[in-house]
Amino acid sequence: MSENAVSVRNVSKTYGSFRAVDDIAFDVFPGEIFAMLGPNGAGKSTTIRMILDILKPDSGSIDVLGGKLDDARKNHIGYLPEERGLYRNVPVLEVMTYLATLKGMSSADARCRGLELLERLELGDVAKKKVSELSKGMQQKVQFAVTILHEPDLIIIDEPFSGLDPVNTLVIKELLMEQRTRGCAVVMSTHQMYQVEEMANRLFMINQGRTALYGPVRDVREQYALPAVIVEGTGDWRNLPSVERVESISDGEGTEARPGALLYLRPGSTTTEVLSQIVAQPGNQVTRFEQAVPSLNDIFIRVVERDNGHG
Amino acid sequence: MDKLLLIARREYVSNIRRPGFLFGTFGLPLIMVGLFVLISAISIQSLSTVSDQVGYGDASGVLAAGVGRPDNFTPFASEDEAQAAFDAGTVGAVIVIPENYMSTGDVTFYVKSDITEALSDNLSGYIRANLQTGLNPEEAERLINPVELSVRALDSGRVVNSSGVIALFLAPIIFSVVFMMGTQITSGYLMSSVVEEKSSRLVEMLVTSVSPGQLLGGKIIGLGLLGLTQLFIWIAGGLLIIALGQSTAVLAGFSFPSDFLLLSLTYFILGYLLISSIMAGVGAVVGSEQESRQIAGLFTLPLVLPYFFIFQFITEPDGTLAVFFSLFPLTSPIANVLRLGFTSVPAWQVIASFALLIVSCIFTTWISARIFRWALLRYGKRPSLRQLIGAVVRNEGMQTTATGERAG
Repeated sequence: MSENAVSVRNVSKTYGSFRAVDDIAFDVFPGEIFAMLGPNGAGKSTTIRMILDILKPDSGSIDVLGGKLDDARKNHIGYLPEERGLYRNVPVLEVMTYLATLKGMSSADARCRGLELLERLELGDVAKKKVSELSKGMQQKVQFAVTILHEPDLIIIDEPFSGLDPVNTLVIKELLMEQRTRGCAVVMSTHQMYQVEEMANRLFMINQGRTALYGPVRDVREQYALPAVIVEGTGDWRNLPSVERVESISDGEGTEARPGALLYLRPGSTTTEVLSQIVAQPGNQVTRFEQAVPSLNDIFIRVVERDNGHG
Repeated sequence: MDKLLLIARREYVSNIRRPGFLFGTFGLPLIMVGLFVLISAISIQSLSTVSDQVGYGDASGVLAAGVGRPDNFTPFASEDEAQAAFDAGTVGAVIVIPENYMSTGDVTFYVKSDITEALSDNLSGYIRANLQTGLNPEEAERLINPVELSVRALDSGRVVNSSGVIALFLAPIIFSVVFMMGTQITSGYLMSSVVEEKSSRLVEMLVTSVSPGQLLGGKIIGLGLLGLTQLFIWIAGGLLIIALGQSTAVLAGFSFPSDFLLLSLTYFILGYLLISSIMAGVGAVVGSEQESRQIAGLFTLPLVLPYFFIFQFITEPDGTLAVFFSLFPLTSPIANVLRLGFTSVPAWQVIASFALLIVSCIFTTWISARIFRWALLRYGKRPSLRQLIGAVVRNEGMQTTATGERAG
């Protein structure tokens, strides 16, 4: 597949006098996990619904899988909304089969693949049970199975991990990664930033209807990198020529992180200079040296505070 | 397979398995057949234990000529002989006409159960025929039976004998009740199916697979076929009862003319389309099943209105009221089935009512489709009438709940 999975071009949407989405543009490529971020009410759901042709944009254009979302293309997308449900009084496998046939699958294929997926999700024994007899976590997994059953080329999934325990989160995560590997584009909207850091290739952050961040996850984090390096080891960092000030990091990102220091660089200095200065001083022992890159969580908060006029 | 048909099939298959549906569909005719068999058994039993032969002793001599003696009347020479036959059970009743009958008119009955009206009528006719002497057999017959009653429903082409009159009047009522139940049940399923998909938020997933039009159309077709299935089972049950009942007085000679059935069926289908399209719209707008039932009630009230005016339909078949109810789309299915059964409906009224029903079906389906699409993804606050009209007039397409509430 050469074309983009999703192409959003200068799209705006207004509800009455409220501008929910204001001139946004982004692309989603096949074979990537694309994170959609943004605070509550920022316009994420509106954007997703416009991609799915549930809502019409006031201006701009959206292409899905190389064109307008028609019946044929609908068969190649899988959507899992944030608030989701299933027919309650129907056996699990039957619900899955029905929903998959609505995506153009044959009943027999859908059953076969449905059973496979249920086994994979350790739900093989509930295939004949009614949905209402399943626990909430099980229902979540079934809903996820429905979303990927027909092997779509584009998956749009809203908060995939909400309400899941760590074990199930891992199972779903693996399945999502598999979808990416087979060339599927996965658009994932979530508030769990560490999941984005771990899984997503690129991200799009929307705030107050406008594009706040857009690009590869690594680039975005580097863009927000501090003029500082993190150093762990033993030695005195305070009198290095390129270092302006030193902050100690006692509670690092993980409990296993040893006490380190955050060295803020003087303007014009480079990290390489700092490293050579550290090495030049006898007696210094360095176990970790890296550019100080903030977590997505920090970046998210900074962006929101900046846009909302707090920061 | 076309997605519309997939949806139709699912609605049909999943609803036909409902215990309530199965009970209504098979239970109702079974209960009726059961009741019928029970009643027949009881009446047959009572016939077999009490002989329908009547013995009489005539001391006055008024019946000496025996003109027009009913078949089951046997003369006995004396009261004692008659009494002996009664005790032996060869006759089920004994009539004693005393010597002074001509002056007093006294007659004594000895019976095991009640004196039936038929028995006393027979006796009166028999005595009357013998009081008048010198009659030929036909004149005597007229004295005994002055009116040979047969009822012919005007222009309906249906003729039943006197004992079938009850059936003649009951049939259209039963028929229309069955129709109404069928329409109510299936359009109710339609509404709850819409409400279920909306309240479980499944609809948000569904509209990324199918269009709202396919969803609505599939539901209407699937549940319409379900309603027809039910109706055919009921009709088959009804015909079975009628066939079984030919041996009984109540249903003897009774039949449904096929044109009446055909017209009724057409009214059923059109009536169902009208109601179900309204229900689909209501279901999409209202969030909970309970609430939707209340609102749906408002629309089904006009359906049953014709029942309150059955008397007027019979006494004034072409009165303003009858004509109005026969033409107004929400009342016309029941009103016409009732009127077709009782009397006759002019052809122009039948045609006009069909035309009006079809036009209003198209109109309500059009409105409902727009409301359905518009309201499907709106949750929470029920939209105002103005918003609904706006949605229909401007064809606004799908709308989600206004932002701020849960868009994000």
